[in-house]
Amino acid sequence: MPEPLRRTVRLTTPPGDVNTVHDFLVELWPDVDSVSDVDRISIETALIELAANVMQHADSDGSGLTCEFTVVVSDDAIDMVVRDTGEPGEIRLVGAEMPELEAESGRGLALISALVDEVAYSQEDGHNIWRLRRTRTTGA
Amino acid sequence: MKIDMVDGPGGVVVLKPEGRLNMVAAPAVREAVSSIVDSGRSRVAVDLSGVEFIDSSGLGALISGLKTTRQAGGDLRIAGANDQVKLVLSLTNLERVLTPYDTVENAYGDA
Repeated sequence: MPEPLRRTVRLTTPPGDVNTVHDFLVELWPDVDSVSDVDRISIETALIELAANVMQHADSDGSGLTCEFTVVVSDDAIDMVVRDTGEPGEIRLVGAEMPELEAESGRGLALISALVDEVAYSQEDGHNIWRLRRTRTTGA
Repeated sequence: MKIDMVDGPGGVVVLKPEGRLNMVAAPAVREAVSSIVDSGRSRVAVDLSGVEFIDSSGLGALISGLKTTRQAGGDLRIAGANDQVKLVLSLTNLERVLTPYDTVENAYGDA
């Protein structure tokens, strides 16, 4: 791949939701057919989990939220950047642990950590910014 | 999300959700299992062969259903999971309580 493929989708909730982000990914994959199934599955799961967390927790008053999702597919890795206009994030991405087996929630962030190699959070110009990076599997 | 509900062998109720089992769709699965238990039945098989994707919200709905059916003396078992569902079950350790069976028939093969 000579140039990394970069795609962005911007949405506002409502009516945008996790299905909007999922549709964005489904449309992206045919243009990067070298991505292995395990990478594709891992990226979809990690990004949808992050989107769900952002939509649930950065919009506690239910007034809606604008977020932007960017995916960059390069030869060696897939990067994801999520930027929102929500409340300052307290979403803990690093060191999240799986809850007990009977728990009905609380697995999302631990799942993200298991699916990507790097996670980072920052606040820039009033936006929450999350960055995820997964090194691509070889032999795709 | 579309969820079919049919009678299976041995008094088992088979739920067949279709599409993405995410935060949008999860409440419908919880409600479907609750309605089955409310009607006096508690052995449920969830046929996941039509589910293309699951996230932690969907897993939460299955765990909720597992607890609801077991409290009523029954069980909830899953079948037909694709690779994405199996990966998520594995990473969350939930395959220990939600064993993925190949088919609905095998899920209650001991019945």
